[in-house]
Amino acid sequence: MAALAAAVGGLWRLRAAGAEGQWRRLRGAGLLRGLVQPDSATGFAAQRRHVAHFTFQPDPEPQEYGQTQKMNLFQAITSALDNSLAKDPTAVIFGEDVAFGGVFRCTVGLRDKYGKDRVFNTPLCEQGIVGFGIGIAVTGATAIAEIQFADYIFPAFDQIVNEAAKYRYRSGDLFNCGSLTIRAPWGCVGHGALYHSQSPEAFFAHCPGIKVVVPRSPFQAKGLLLSCIEDKNPCIFFEPKILYRAAVEQVPVEPYNIPLSQAEVIQEGSDVTLVAWGTQVHVIREVASMAQEKLGVSCEVIDLRTILPWDVDTVCKSVIKTGRLLISHEAPLTGGFASEISSTVQEECFLNLEAPISRVCGYDTPFPHIFEPFYIPDKWKCYDALRKMINY
Amino acid sequence: MDSPSLRELQQPLLAGVGCVSPIQKPGEPQMGPPFRETAFAESLGGWHFLPSPLPSVSAGLGELGTPDLEDPQRQEQQHFPSLDDKPQFPGASAEFIDKLEFIQPNVISGIPVYRVMDRQGQIINPSEDPHLPQEKVLKLYRSMTLLNTMDRILYESQRQGRISFYMTNYGEEGTHVGSAAALDNTDLVFGQYREAGVLMYRDYPLELFMAQCYGNVSDLGKGRQMPVHYGCRERHFVTISSPLATQIPQAVGAAYAAKRANANRVVICYFGEGAASEGDAHAGFNFAATLECPIIFFCRNNGYAISTPTSEQYRGDGIAARGPGYGILSIRVDGNDVFAVYNATKEARRRAVAENQPFLIEAMTYRIGHHSTSDDSSAYRSVDEVNYWDKQDHPISRLRHYLQSRGWWDDEQEKAWRKQSRKKVMEAFEQAERKPKPSPSLLFSDVYQEMPTQLRKQQEALARHLQTYGEHYPLDHFE
Repeated sequence: MAALAAAVGGLWRLRAAGAEGQWRRLRGAGLLRGLVQPDSATGFAAQRRHVAHFTFQPDPEPQEYGQTQKMNLFQAITSALDNSLAKDPTAVIFGEDVAFGGVFRCTVGLRDKYGKDRVFNTPLCEQGIVGFGIGIAVTGATAIAEIQFADYIFPAFDQIVNEAAKYRYRSGDLFNCGSLTIRAPWGCVGHGALYHSQSPEAFFAHCPGIKVVVPRSPFQAKGLLLSCIEDKNPCIFFEPKILYRAAVEQVPVEPYNIPLSQAEVIQEGSDVTLVAWGTQVHVIREVASMAQEKLGVSCEVIDLRTILPWDVDTVCKSVIKTGRLLISHEAPLTGGFASEISSTVQEECFLNLEAPISRVCGYDTPFPHIFEPFYIPDKWKCYDALRKMINY
Repeated sequence: MDSPSLRELQQPLLAGVGCVSPIQKPGEPQMGPPFRETAFAESLGGWHFLPSPLPSVSAGLGELGTPDLEDPQRQEQQHFPSLDDKPQFPGASAEFIDKLEFIQPNVISGIPVYRVMDRQGQIINPSEDPHLPQEKVLKLYRSMTLLNTMDRILYESQRQGRISFYMTNYGEEGTHVGSAAALDNTDLVFGQYREAGVLMYRDYPLELFMAQCYGNVSDLGKGRQMPVHYGCRERHFVTISSPLATQIPQAVGAAYAAKRANANRVVICYFGEGAASEGDAHAGFNFAATLECPIIFFCRNNGYAISTPTSEQYRGDGIAARGPGYGILSIRVDGNDVFAVYNATKEARRRAVAENQPFLIEAMTYRIGHHSTSDDSSAYRSVDEVNYWDKQDHPISRLRHYLQSRGWWDDEQEKAWRKQSRKKVMEAFEQAERKPKPSPSLLFSDVYQEMPTQLRKQQEALARHLQTYGEHYPLDHFE
């Protein structure tokens, strides 16, 4: 029932998205041509809004988890939540606007199916949402809190860092809030600007006691979210909002788990290691193709998946093999999570490196609105950095 | 599209709602009904446009001139002769008023302070005496005095460099035991840091109080936190954390979970009047009310937040006055009167569980001691002020007078008990001092339920470091 409602919702969304087709950028157009077309009246072009800077690459249909269904990212999330509430009678979902289905439709149908005591709105207060969620988790019940945009998670920073992350440690394991999961839409979306585009994973990476996870696709999202919910530690699950509708693939209907703290080598290669998470994985995948095509360079592409605790071994093993590492994320360069990866890899793999580790990230600015196409670490910037690394 | 006649739209949606729709007589100018009714009819009837004469359109254009009665086509602003009709805003269900008046906050004679005993421990209104059995009242008394004794000894021990830090509970013992006695033993307690008497009442052993303060090998908290950050799973007392007010929304979540589980338990959440200024307090109150949680918010208003007096903490009528703003039933009580605290907590508990709604109790009291061992309160208040409360209005004295007037206590027993309690505390104290600290490997556990690879590497690195440089570390004191 929930799946049907979600599918209908999805169809509605796809139809609306079709209207955006007219805004598609010309393929292969150069920068200026793609941006503008001359207009006789003003000399400036009638500018068209850009389509995404990446192409979502679905993974092959998983065989080992039973029947699958075509789902986009938000439907995969709904499916995970549906499975959770079905399995775990203590599980509840709460946050702003989750009752009617959520601003990104992730909770559509769940209130009708599970009841208003299990899927409910809270007042508009992130510190309250997370604090409340911690309290539920302290009693042993499963709390799934939604923060409407990752950009708004900061009022809850104290509750997350000073409370949730430290609950078990400070109490000597008398108490914990391991059954808390916080979900939040994350990352650039084309027009989100300062407050609807942020990727705050680096702030939380510095906080022992929580786990931070970012999926790249619907299949990954469902498995990782289920793992977060079942994990005995408080988890933050960032959902790339630009993928909510754009990413579609076959996703198992039944629950399944993808392990946390395990990076995935999604493409093997021998010359360069590329590391990213979330939306950016699709960018670097394309960069890998470009590198192969234009430079004859073989790239190993890694989706980090869990930011904290992160899978040092998989990344290091790859760099030992390739000798070159490029890490890319939308979040600003300074203090971004690429710094942590870079620092650890140079400690562990110093003598294996053929070139300095490259970080291709957002600039050290707030996330701009009209300048987004220039801000984001797109495939051209990644390609250029890769080229420099090869020629080092 | 078929539009309804204006007449149809003018009929009140809800018959008998108290407003009269004007009945049209021939020759009279057409007067629209009060616009809100029409708006109602529209939204429910699903009309997608506003037929032109609707007053809702013109009324919104802002002119408050006298209506033009000559023009039948133009809808005039209805003059509300009385206030029969009601506002329909989704946000509030009040009456209309046509007088401009700001509500005056009442701080001079605000919410009264409920008490049962006078300052000499005599019952004022016998019908309010909870008539607790002798054993229970003695337990209240012994808990308060044992806490007081422990406070004196541990405060001293910090002064002597034996423990790093301490916070006393002087003057507030009544708030702890009065409330604890009114709860079930399984009611979950979220505290701030000055509620040790709740644990004392629940028979938390002296050995464990001391173990936490010393961070020794018996500490259930594994030596992780500063002194007085107690926690006890068995006694349903959630471990204290230093950040203020963070426990408030957490307590609400726990109460919600208890409600869902049909646990018939209440959650009690203690905090000071200073912590009540935090955003987390606002968040907690609002969530508790909107989500209908069985929780008691217990505010210890002791006059100071470190050096900040209440006059600099808030300008309204204390914390109790905030409750109604959230839709929360609230009361202010004499926190130095254990029976008043008991009665209020008892009733709040009964109703919170039965009705699934929050209660707010503001217990007025006075912090006789310094904020902590890092504070010298003579810097910001007079010794006279402190002495007044110590001598004239102390929860322990007042209860002792009550006990004595009932014949349940006397000077002999007082002397014996003082000696005995001091002895118990000293024994526990000496034992706690002698015990070693836990193994340094416990520095690394419980960050997560399972130890992550990278952390294990760090643990091993420390172990190797200590092998070489161990002499520079106080390893002798650790297991």
